Amino acid sequence: MIRLKQIQKSFGRHHVLKGIDVNVEKGQVVAILGPSGSGKTTLLRCINFLERPSDGEIEIDGITVQCKRPSKSDIHTLRKQSAMVFQQYNLFRHKTALENVMEGLVVVQKVPKEEARERSIALLKKVGLENKLDAYPSQLSGGQQQRVGIARALALNPKVILLDEPTSSLDPELVGEVLSVIRKIAKEGITMIIVTHEMAFAQDVASHIIFMDDGVIVEEGTPAQLFNFPKEERTRQFLKRYTPDGVYSI
Amino acid sequence: MRLDPSFIWTAFTLLLSAIPTTLMITAVAMGCGTMIGTSVALIRIYRVPVLHGLAAAYVTFIRGTPMLTHLLLIYFGLPYLIDGLAIQLGWSFRSVSIPMIGFAYISFSITAGAYLSEVIRSGLLAVNKGQLEAAYSIGMTTRQAMKRIVFPQAFAILLPSLSNSTINMLHGTTLAFTVSVVDINAKSQIIASSNWKFFEAYIAAAIIYWGLTILIERITAVIEKRINLYNRGGVA
Ligand SMILES: Nc1ncnc2c1ncn2[C@@H]1O[C@H](COP(=O)(O)OP(=O)(O)O)[C@@H](O)[C@H]1O
Ligand SMILES: [Mg+2]
Repeated sequence: MIRLKQIQKSFGRHHVLKGIDVNVEKGQVVAILGPSGSGKTTLLRCINFLERPSDGEIEIDGITVQCKRPSKSDIHTLRKQSAMVFQQYNLFRHKTALENVMEGLVVVQKVPKEEARERSIALLKKVGLENKLDAYPSQLSGGQQQRVGIARALALNPKVILLDEPTSSLDPELVGEVLSVIRKIAKEGITMIIVTHEMAFAQDVASHIIFMDDGVIVEEGTPAQLFNFPKEERTRQFLKRYTPDGVYSI
Repeated sequence: MRLDPSFIWTAFTLLLSAIPTTLMITAVAMGCGTMIGTSVALIRIYRVPVLHGLAAAYVTFIRGTPMLTHLLLIYFGLPYLIDGLAIQLGWSFRSVSIPMIGFAYISFSITAGAYLSEVIRSGLLAVNKGQLEAAYSIGMTTRQAMKRIVFPQAFAILLPSLSNSTINMLHGTTLAFTVSVVDINAKSQIIASSNWKFFEAYIAAAIIYWGLTILIERITAVIEKRINLYNRGGVA
């Protein structure tokens, strides 16, 4: 359903993505792993054109965009196919939790206010925040903000949700609540691409793992393949650093 | 010469009729200035070709010259331009039919526009980039994102500077007397010289300007309290 073909991205002379091919099927949860600076965030941001790829082709559910000369409307149409959960949450600061979730429904999808309200409340309930509807982001903990961020993404009913290290700005004791929400929506068959350093979580939730390093995909496969029988030396090195004792189990 | 306290009150009551003129000039200059300033700020942030250079030149020129000079340039220059155009295009309109206050409106709007463009630009740039990205990520167009996400937050950030600019403009409108507009200041001069009570008349004018300034500060405080609701609360 999602097809990235030969995605290239340079920042000036710095060649960050060197021809990335990715296929994601409907309902799949794909985890992208890799050392810091390998281009994971850039790749994710290319999928919704927050970063403009230098070259390549992006297709999401029948909408195809040639990255070299995209028109404004191409970009806009493609963006409406996906939603993003940010590392820094990026909730709209001047809007309450409920308004954050409603915003896209009302403004972008033109859903009537009352209906948008009901759907948003239901989503905030799903992420366990039914008693924080009227709280502003500044009044919420990081974990709560990120759960609002997830609800905001879900509200749009996107073809795919892109999550960029959704738990890495959180205090350790708040990581669990966010991961369990993501786990829950993964079970509902929502297509997701998630960049994460939570190895155990990736192993558990993802149906497909991509390991990136230095702007290329080094290796990909099922969690079982990748964690237990990594083929590439670079993958092994990386997993050794992130997994305690170098012991992998399913 | 002795101070005549009772004349302060007399002058005060006489000056009240000039308050609308002063407020009107301030309001028009700030209103038009905000529109000009917003356009200029956006042109400069988005580096719109050609216009970008013009906008930068406009801002440095206006900020590099006194407000009184702008007024005089407009007062003496605009008639040439208008009458020249009118003759070319066969209009019956002539610059003599522009009321004096019109020159103040135009010139002070141009002045305010340059200063406000800098205020607004810094406000827009102070909004976290992630806010705009989040707006794009949920499928908003640039226009929607600006209107609903960036501008409201920028406004909260720049409200104190905006209030300052308004006060500066309120005080700056005193220059309008040079083109024969009878604002509070001009009226106090008239009252002063026709009664030979200068100090009393200027004290009365000072009290009115002070009062209006305090009013602007109060209004700002009320607005600030309302829009900054979202900044309250514990965890950042
Ligand atoms: N806006 C940018 N301008 C210049 N270089 C950038 C920009 N964004 C990312 N980079 C560079 O691209 C590389 C990949 O970054 P990123 O995608 O954030 O990696 P990751 O998410 O895997 O840590 C890094 O070397 C980073 O410095
Ligand atoms: Mg990253």
